[in-house]
Amino acid sequence: MASPLEDRLDWVVRQVGSIILGKERAIRLALSCLLARGHLLIEDLPGMGKTTLAHTLARCLGLHYQRIQFTSDLLPADILGAAVYERQRETFIFHPGPIFAQLILADEINRATPKTQSALLEAMEEDQVTIEGETRPLPEPFFVIATQNPAYQIGTFPLPESQLDRFLMRIELGYPDVKAERFLLEGEDRREALGRLPVSMTPAQLHEAQALVAGIHVAPPLLDYLQALLTFSRESGRFRGGLSPRAGLALLRAARAWALLHRRGHVLPEDVQAVLPAVVGHRLHPGDDHLEQSTADLVSQLLNAIPLPV
Amino acid sequence: MLQNLRRRFETWVVRRHPPATDPVALTRRRLYILPTRYGYAFAALLFLLFLWAVNYSNSMGFAFTFLLAAVALNSMWRAHDNLLGLVIHPGVAEPVFAGQAARFSYRLEQPGLDPRYGVALQWRDGLPQYVDVPAQGSATVMLTIPAERRGWLQPGPIRVLTRFPLGLLQAWSWVTFERSGLAYPRPRGRRPLPASLPGGGGSSIGEQGLGSEDYAGFRSYAPGDSPRRIAWKAVTRGGPLLVKRFTDQARPELWLDWRLLGIDNVEPRLEQLCQWVLQADGAGLQYGLWLPGRQIPPASGAVHRRRCLEALALFRYEGQR
Amino acid sequence: MTPWNHKNRSKSGQPLVEPLMPLALIWLLITLALAVAPHAGELPVWLTLLFYAVAGWRGVIAVRNQALPPRWLLLPLALLVGAGVLIEYRTLLGRDAGVALLTAMTACKLLETRGLRDGVVLVFLGYLLVMSNLLYSQEILMVAWLFAVVVVMLAAQTMIYRQHAGLTGFAPLRLAGKMLVQAIPVMLILFVLFPRIPGPLWGLPKDAYQGRTGLSEEMSPGSVSELSKSDEVAFRVRFMNSPPPLRQLYWRGPVLWNFDGRKWTRHEELQANTPVAFTPEGAVVEYAVIMEPSNRRWLLALDLPASLPPRTGMTPSFQLLRDQPVNEVYRYEVHSYPAYRTGELTTLERSRALRLPGRGNPRAQELAAEWRARDPRPEALVNAALTLFREQAFYYTLTPPLLGVNSVDDFLFRTRQGFCEHYASAFVFLMRSAGVPARIVTGYQGGERNAMGDYLIVRQADAHAWAEVWLPERGWVRVDPTSAVAPNRIHEGLYAAVADPGSLPFLMRRGGSSEWLRQLALSWDLLNNSWNEWVLAYGPDRQKELLSGLGFGPVDWGEMTIAMIVALSGFGLIFTALRWRRRFARDPVARSWQRFCARLARRGLARGPHEGPLAFTERVAMQRPELAVPAQEIGKLYGALRYGPVAPAAAVRRLQQLTRRFRA
Repeated sequence: MASPLEDRLDWVVRQVGSIILGKERAIRLALSCLLARGHLLIEDLPGMGKTTLAHTLARCLGLHYQRIQFTSDLLPADILGAAVYERQRETFIFHPGPIFAQLILADEINRATPKTQSALLEAMEEDQVTIEGETRPLPEPFFVIATQNPAYQIGTFPLPESQLDRFLMRIELGYPDVKAERFLLEGEDRREALGRLPVSMTPAQLHEAQALVAGIHVAPPLLDYLQALLTFSRESGRFRGGLSPRAGLALLRAARAWALLHRRGHVLPEDVQAVLPAVVGHRLHPGDDHLEQSTADLVSQLLNAIPLPV
Repeated sequence: MLQNLRRRFETWVVRRHPPATDPVALTRRRLYILPTRYGYAFAALLFLLFLWAVNYSNSMGFAFTFLLAAVALNSMWRAHDNLLGLVIHPGVAEPVFAGQAARFSYRLEQPGLDPRYGVALQWRDGLPQYVDVPAQGSATVMLTIPAERRGWLQPGPIRVLTRFPLGLLQAWSWVTFERSGLAYPRPRGRRPLPASLPGGGGSSIGEQGLGSEDYAGFRSYAPGDSPRRIAWKAVTRGGPLLVKRFTDQARPELWLDWRLLGIDNVEPRLEQLCQWVLQADGAGLQYGLWLPGRQIPPASGAVHRRRCLEALALFRYEGQR
Repeated sequence: MTPWNHKNRSKSGQPLVEPLMPLALIWLLITLALAVAPHAGELPVWLTLLFYAVAGWRGVIAVRNQALPPRWLLLPLALLVGAGVLIEYRTLLGRDAGVALLTAMTACKLLETRGLRDGVVLVFLGYLLVMSNLLYSQEILMVAWLFAVVVVMLAAQTMIYRQHAGLTGFAPLRLAGKMLVQAIPVMLILFVLFPRIPGPLWGLPKDAYQGRTGLSEEMSPGSVSELSKSDEVAFRVRFMNSPPPLRQLYWRGPVLWNFDGRKWTRHEELQANTPVAFTPEGAVVEYAVIMEPSNRRWLLALDLPASLPPRTGMTPSFQLLRDQPVNEVYRYEVHSYPAYRTGELTTLERSRALRLPGRGNPRAQELAAEWRARDPRPEALVNAALTLFREQAFYYTLTPPLLGVNSVDDFLFRTRQGFCEHYASAFVFLMRSAGVPARIVTGYQGGERNAMGDYLIVRQADAHAWAEVWLPERGWVRVDPTSAVAPNRIHEGLYAAVADPGSLPFLMRRGGSSEWLRQLALSWDLLNNSWNEWVLAYGPDRQKELLSGLGFGPVDWGEMTIAMIVALSGFGLIFTALRWRRRFARDPVARSWQRFCARLARRGLARGPHEGPLAFTERVAMQRPELAVPAQEIGKLYGALRYGPVAPAAAVRRLQQLTRRFRA
């Protein structure tokens, strides 16, 4: 049943898992996000392996990788690139910025000023960059992994809600478990291992996999379920606002990718449930009466509240 | 005797279905059904009609009597089915002060394809609040429940009932939700507000305030600080990078302090503190709250007020369960 | 927990009046108006008008939201209306007065209808009004009308609850119709199997069954011809074997012995015994009679009945007599022997059969003496009388002239125009004067065959009177003097016989341009007959017959109750199963999954409502490793079938197989 492509995806998961230990779920979520043509926001403390995850993914998938360290003095041009006058040719030559890569790690995105942030986010949204009236397409595939340090720090600019929505998923890596940690301590340097990692997939194959996601079947009962989730988020009064139609589409897309990653041609409610916290966690905010509850709690309540159709 | 029996039955039923935090779907096992007083009257009417039919040997009289009996039977399962499958979502209520009435809104949801008519929620012996629930839709019912004490409001069992379609039978179920709303202490007490301290002494003035008028000192630079705020004059003198601090409020601030109150009992103290919070908030003061084990630094505004009141409402609350 | 008081009371402890929705009240008014409508013919005009006026007024008040009349007005008004009824009927008891009172009180109640409770009372009054209509008629049209009334009534009952206001437009009617249709099976079970107690339980009011035309227990000139103006059905007959010819169909009713010169009356106390012995000669005729209510105890039977229906006896005059008056449509089966020979007369009977009034009718007596002198044999005397009727200028007419004090003389020698009672009366008088024991038999003769339904309709217009004489060798012998005057009456029926058929009721006429209308009426009668025979005549006797006929043997009411409970539970089970099927989705995939989950739930492994198939079966596999393989296959298969693009039949079967075999 499984086509070689699905074997390959499995292989990617295993390869990345050999570097990022004990984080299979996060890896699968990241890969689903990529397959669903979405962008990923990782929110975690420094040193949890955010960078390594991005780097490993790029390596395994054979993607052109760029890392941009966001700082307060970073200007939009530092990301997008700029036209520079070359005296020899007597003309302006466009020097593409680091954004013209297939996989971008936007590290500590909340350190940059809102202006710079929005330059990146606009590019993410439109898959193209417009500089001085000229529009340049971004490479294909184009995948942004942004990291954000959740701890409140002075001089940071947390992404506003409207911008958070541009990320398909937001995940946390968290600490490794005891076993993984021990292995990490005993084993060789991750970066060295990373260097030896073979490329598991070509960009063409990745493209094919992305095309497959759209073809994953969604049955009417699943749509019923999905709609019930959306309705509950809007009407229960537990959330401020509730999920937007865009969030619903994102949820469906992510669930499709998740299903593909699990070798299924159709989406199960479990797929929706698996991606739900990552997809809606950054789009929902506790309602006024539930301020004492965390978003994660509320999302799990959301899950528990909706019975599956039979 | 009968009253007693009924109470025991109700206690049993309530124990059977423990408090829930999630929405409750009304299943067969939760539903009960009994005739209403009109139902008993109808039974008497049927008996009368039956006697009449017997006495006159009236064949159609029998048929009519039996038809009405069968309709009553039919209305029994209709009443039952009118509740079956409904999903009751936990009530939500705006916080109130103890002694006030909290307005809980419960959402009734009908996932199925048939609309439900005349479904009511009833709290204790209050008036049942009726509502129609559209097919694959939901409707909201408001219940007014007095908040007797501060803390989490637990309305206890809520009766979901219907007398649809003929009013002869009442199908009902009990749902209990764990906690649904908050009651602040009753604002009570005649002590005047304590004296304010001059502003700026605290460490809690909003540093993040971007727009600001009043200069409030220096602090060392952290990456990301606005260049406009760097004390360039100091830099040119070769000093360290410093950032000017501003604050928009230098109004006097005040601590509402548990320790200021020499009252023995917890509740009166909390009531007085609650009263103070409201007074201070009303006067637009900057105020903080000091409770054993919980301090809220001075601030003002609706969110702050809310935080203070919540702290008062839930103070040593766990022990009171 | 504080004690809960479930009565809706306001804080002050006063019961709250739940208001009645104006729309619901309008519905109620409509339904009450419909329920009272059939009574309009019987109620005094002033009461009918009062009721409709009050209903209309109340409707206007409801629509305009005006104030009701003050409460103090109600008591005087109720008393006034009650007094009106009392004056009209001279009593407050009895059927007619009772219905009038019910109508009047409903009207009064309308004027004080404010809240929900009043609405409920009105609905109940409405049901009583429906029932009261059934006391007057149980015909198909009436029942259909009342069924419609009940539909509206139920709709109104639904609507008086303000909480059901979401049901708008015709939705309450649809709901009521649905409920009624769904209630029919249970009603049928109860109707057929609920043990019927033979009524009445206590004395019925005297007017309980008033207004029925029919034979009475006396006969005077004009009493039978009066009946012949009515084409109401007296009874219908279904023959089990081939029916005898019309001329043999003498339906025996009251037998009259006593004559006071003008009026014939019965002398016997109506006592019923076991069948009176007679010697049958010839074939037996078996038939069932479906009798319309007559309010009399006697049952009609062909000469001479040889069997007794239940709870029925026979008088010495071969008259069938039931223990209760026939107040309902009653069906009974009898068999008779048209040819027979009866036994000896007792001395008492002989003297009665010869008794004449002390004086009067001298000329008739002279004539009889003359005949007797000529030939004293009874047969010869009978022939002499018949010859007189046949050969002299006697006319058979519905409108005979009035007779004087010596009615027999007047008839025989002056008017010579008469209906059957005139001939029978004169004949018996002549026979007794001549010394031949004789008596009058009243009943019906002939009938009309309804070819469509293969049964016989006997109408009131077929009422007849004939004579019986006692002959030494043969016992009582029927002699019909009418046949001597108008043989067609016996052979072809009344229409062919009377001189003035124009005065006959419509349904008794034959031929002509309106024949098709009569045929239509016959079709309608067929429907009515079936209704009577199978529905209305279903009483305690028929119920026993039916159950015995089904092979249960004789049943008592205890067994009947058991049968009813069994049938009701059977229906309940089927009904529940149908609803269960609906709950367990029709879809086989969903059904299999539900069954699987239900099985695990019984073992303490309940699927959370939000738990998907894979997640659930994985949990099952963790907690019950021995179930891992089948459970996970089921989970996977169900997931693929439910959420996959196609559900191949083979896979569905596989899922069904797996879940069937699955044992937790």
